[in-house]
Amino acid sequence: MYVMNILVLGIGQSLRGDDAAGLEAVRLWQEKFPETAVGARVETSELPGLVLLDLLEGMEAAVIVDAIQSKAPAGTVMRLGSEELASFMPETGFTHGWGIAETLQLGHSLYQGLASCRAILIGIVGGQFDLGAGFSPEVEKALPKAAEMIESEIRKLI
Amino acid sequence: MKTIEVPALARVEGEGGLFIGMKDGKAVEIRLDIYEPPRFFEGFLIDRYLQEVPDITARICGICPVAYQMSSVRALEAALGIEVTPEIYTLRRLMYCGEFIESHALHIYLLQAPDLLEVPSALDLAAIAPEVVKTALRMKKAGNELLKAIGGRSVHPVNACVGGFYRWPDARLVKATLPELEWGLEAAKETVKWAVMLPYPDLKINYEFVAIHHPIEYGVMNGDVWSSKGSKLEVTDYETRYIEEHVQHSNALHSHTKEGGNYLVGPLARLNLNHEQLLPAAQKALKDSKIKLPITNPYKSLIARAFELVNFYEEAIQLVKAYAPNGPAHLKLALKAGEGCGMSEAPRGLLYHRYKIDEKGRVKFAKITPPTAQNLPRIEEDLLALVPQLVKMDQEQATLTAEHLVRSYDPCISCATHFLKLKMEEVE
Repeated sequence: MYVMNILVLGIGQSLRGDDAAGLEAVRLWQEKFPETAVGARVETSELPGLVLLDLLEGMEAAVIVDAIQSKAPAGTVMRLGSEELASFMPETGFTHGWGIAETLQLGHSLYQGLASCRAILIGIVGGQFDLGAGFSPEVEKALPKAAEMIESEIRKLI
Repeated sequence: MKTIEVPALARVEGEGGLFIGMKDGKAVEIRLDIYEPPRFFEGFLIDRYLQEVPDITARICGICPVAYQMSSVRALEAALGIEVTPEIYTLRRLMYCGEFIESHALHIYLLQAPDLLEVPSALDLAAIAPEVVKTALRMKKAGNELLKAIGGRSVHPVNACVGGFYRWPDARLVKATLPELEWGLEAAKETVKWAVMLPYPDLKINYEFVAIHHPIEYGVMNGDVWSSKGSKLEVTDYETRYIEEHVQHSNALHSHTKEGGNYLVGPLARLNLNHEQLLPAAQKALKDSKIKLPITNPYKSLIARAFELVNFYEEAIQLVKAYAPNGPAHLKLALKAGEGCGMSEAPRGLLYHRYKIDEKGRVKFAKITPPTAQNLPRIEEDLLALVPQLVKMDQEQATLTAEHLVRSYDPCISCATHFLKLKMEEVE
């Protein structure tokens, strides 16, 4: 384990097409960079909601990997820093499925300890979120890049 | 008051809207519009091997995956004609305790309490009462940790299978949940005291309550379908009285009794029909609260959830203390063609599954009736009963009061919209 407590969290539903990109990118990173992966706490979650706060407990840094919807072309991989994540306005109507931004906002308002956790998001722009497993060709192609971005983030931390 | 229109309901799961059309001070149209797209879960179970069913149906909901797993495994075990051992059954109940705890803590404090405390959201509640929200999250976490210890992960656990569990959970991990469960039991007792003091809107409905009833244990999986109108049916006869049909404004089916009446499933139905089976701490909390049963105010389903929280923390503590894995974790399956149905009580109400399988264990037919589909017509009728009060309020207050009513049901619209059959026709 590293001196710093680092969480790598892949999020996504495995049966909703490109939504599973976060899960697969983390799996690919573990496969390609086993020496780095072994020192971090690695978790995957289909739909963490408020459980995200439990996962972040005691962590000093977190790399969250998730599929996102954006005007950018499918397969684009983006990095959102803590400030960019915090600037998201809560807009979800479904409190059963809290989004990452509003969950972090709730966490920051309740737990002082969370302020010291540097959370960043690696977002993979999805093209199709249909029912069933399997990625769009654009996202399939982008997964190695996302895995390398995870590696690069961890390298910055250790 | 003018027509009330809420295009997208907040603090409910899934996408739905609310419309109350008014003319000359009277409601002329009430609709809970369910426009969340249908999700065809039953369709893609067809031809799947039966062991895939619990893990697929669990994905219908992130809050009540255990309910979907339990109703499906019980239905498929009925189709195969097998009965699990008492050890397996007990562990299933413990897993279910975890689900009730996390779901009820979430609903009480983060979904419905903001309405009662007149704040727009849980984020606003956290700003004015951070300790309340922290307590809620800690209570919820205790349930999630239990699910993780038994099912491998806190959301969409994966250990349940037809015939039992893939493996016995590690006893050390299960027992490690005990301190937080014991803290949670005390927090749940405080939740009851807090819940009974909240200012609920006044509404009294003459409900037909429907829930699973068991003579010894609080009805969750075992037992018959009881109605407050006296009907007592075995699970195999459920569909003879409770019927689903399609209505134009909804992507979810609506249920009614064969006599044509609406009925209520969920915490109020369970508490009112099954309070004698509550465990001692919950019985005491009920007695001390001086609440008279039956509770017939839908807004007060929050109180019923609070009593159930006490009950399920108490049961979880008992079962965790007694947990000592013994014998096979799952039964060996002898495949054969058959048909079976199974029920369990999801936190928001009765969940019914029926499957037909072939001799190789492949699903040939699937029917899933979730609690929200059963409650949808009931919610519309409750809104109608609320109209005389709404017309005396200003527009904003009337809209909030109507939305609050819907939220008090904890409707899971996503769960309710997965069972439409897709019919495609050629058009000119």
